[in-house]
Amino acid sequence: MTKKNIEHLTEMSRLLRRDVVTMVHHAGDGHPGPALSVADIVTALYFDIMKFDPSRPDWPGRDRLILSKGHSCPTVYAALARLGFFSEEILPSLRSLGSILQGHPDMNKTPGIDMTTGSLGHGIAVGAGMAAASYLTGEKYWVYVITGDGELNEGIVWEAAQTAAHRHLSSLVVFVDHNGFQSDGPLAEVSGLVAIPEKFKVFGWHVQEIDGHNFTEILQATKRAQSERDRPSIIVAHTIKGKGVSFMEGDNSWHKRVPTADELKTALEELGGSQ
Amino acid sequence: MIQDMIASTRQAFSDELVELASEDSRIVLVCADSVIALRATAFADKYPDRLFDVGIAEQNAVAFSAGLAASGLKPFFGTYAGFITMRACEQIRTFVAYPHLNVKFVGLNGGIYGGEREGVTHQFFEDLGIMRSVPGIEIVVPADAGQVRKATRAIAQREGPVYLRIGSGRESVIFDESMDFEFGKARVLEQHGADASIFTNGPILKRVLQAAQQLSKEGIKTTVVEVHTLKPLDVETISDVLRRTGTAVAVEDHNIIGGLGSAIAEVIAETMPVPLVRIGLQDIYPISGEAESLLDYFGMGVKDIAGAVKKAIMKRDKLNWEKAKK
Repeated sequence: MTKKNIEHLTEMSRLLRRDVVTMVHHAGDGHPGPALSVADIVTALYFDIMKFDPSRPDWPGRDRLILSKGHSCPTVYAALARLGFFSEEILPSLRSLGSILQGHPDMNKTPGIDMTTGSLGHGIAVGAGMAAASYLTGEKYWVYVITGDGELNEGIVWEAAQTAAHRHLSSLVVFVDHNGFQSDGPLAEVSGLVAIPEKFKVFGWHVQEIDGHNFTEILQATKRAQSERDRPSIIVAHTIKGKGVSFMEGDNSWHKRVPTADELKTALEELGGSQ
Repeated sequence: MIQDMIASTRQAFSDELVELASEDSRIVLVCADSVIALRATAFADKYPDRLFDVGIAEQNAVAFSAGLAASGLKPFFGTYAGFITMRACEQIRTFVAYPHLNVKFVGLNGGIYGGEREGVTHQFFEDLGIMRSVPGIEIVVPADAGQVRKATRAIAQREGPVYLRIGSGRESVIFDESMDFEFGKARVLEQHGADASIFTNGPILKRVLQAAQQLSKEGIKTTVVEVHTLKPLDVETISDVLRRTGTAVAVEDHNIIGGLGSAIAEVIAETMPVPLVRIGLQDIYPISGEAESLLDYFGMGVKDIAGAVKKAIMKRDKLNWEKAKK
């Protein structure tokens, strides 16, 4: 983990954030807040951690990413475009008729998307299946899941948490984008969701808590997760919804809201650069 | 029909799956605490590392199966029909059917025959309607154990999701073992004549054949069509029979809304307008009881089927008479 590497990741996440606010503005629809909170985790995974081949998106030996919080997909689309899975010129077509970039991820329409998602709560269950399959197919790969914190309300999350631990699926690494908000407000107020690390601990998972905007911590936690041999790992990443754009940070109205032309201009100025 | 022989559709499925698994290492079984119910202990013994019992967690089982299929395996997920098609309906739709992943679903306790003494929670008569409304999933409803074996083999060879409906494990043997199973093809089974057509599928076919024979003795000559593949529907064969007979009865061990009767009504409305009478659960909840008496109780008796045919013929004749009058 070199200083140069961290600088590169920092620059890439800045670019992805610019792409995200621009895409949502052009689409006239989308979820900028949660797409920004997850940007550093997505950047670390795609620009450092994961192995894949953009010219062969269905390579059986690739690492998988399941974006369980599918509404954050503009960030992943931006990463895939910048990695060459498809042209960056496609990004502005997000959510428009005929685009390969659906409102929520579609594994059959977008090269590089490993699983169709959007209906919340399913990433860990599908990821457990993918991890279990690798023992039979002999393909060695990591399965990364990014789940929101709000979607941990879903019952299937805990069904899958039990399965993954019971089956010792150590190739499954889950990031929780723990920004503290769900659509209707703060987790503790809306649904009473608390003690996420403790819950996964008692389910038998390897649990870490990190700053989800600190690349050093993201990379180190991933390494530690990968050294687990007998149980799945979860990395509870504390993040800020809307991270990177001052007027979106911590303002949950940006969960699903479109920046106006002026707001986009301000956001891009704050994010800096011109690319 | 082979009289008085019982054979388990559950056992038939599991026997065939063991055989298929020996031929294709990608075939795996997913259960939701349903290994015993599926009669799949032989599979569990022979292929312990290819069995994924996730416990009583059907939504998880379906999403897990999607992950297996997305990684190159061919999972069969089996448990009670309603726990698949109702509890995990969205998982089937969004994570299997929409991405067209190769997961096969095996629903136990189909209909009143399947659920019988268990009561409503374990009697499933909406599964076919629910599955039919999900794009991209194929549906098969075999009539007996021998047909389940062949249907299991047939669906294993198809790429993409299929729902296979089976029963309680106490099904009458209807067909000789040599009877083939051609996926996607409606089977014109008995052609006593063209007075009326009877469309049916599943174990209730037994009663339809009895009714057709009885009617034949009374001089009413029907054509019996087994629509074992409910989706994709063999519209061509169905339309052809409708044209020849001019009136139809649909007999199904399912709610009359959404299943075979609805499918036939759609063909009738769009390609071959003729009268139709639907036999099945009349949009009500059943009760516990022994299977055969329950079917009689809920208007799916041989007598009821025969009566429905007569009613369908009367409807057609009345229509013809009104047409002639004009």
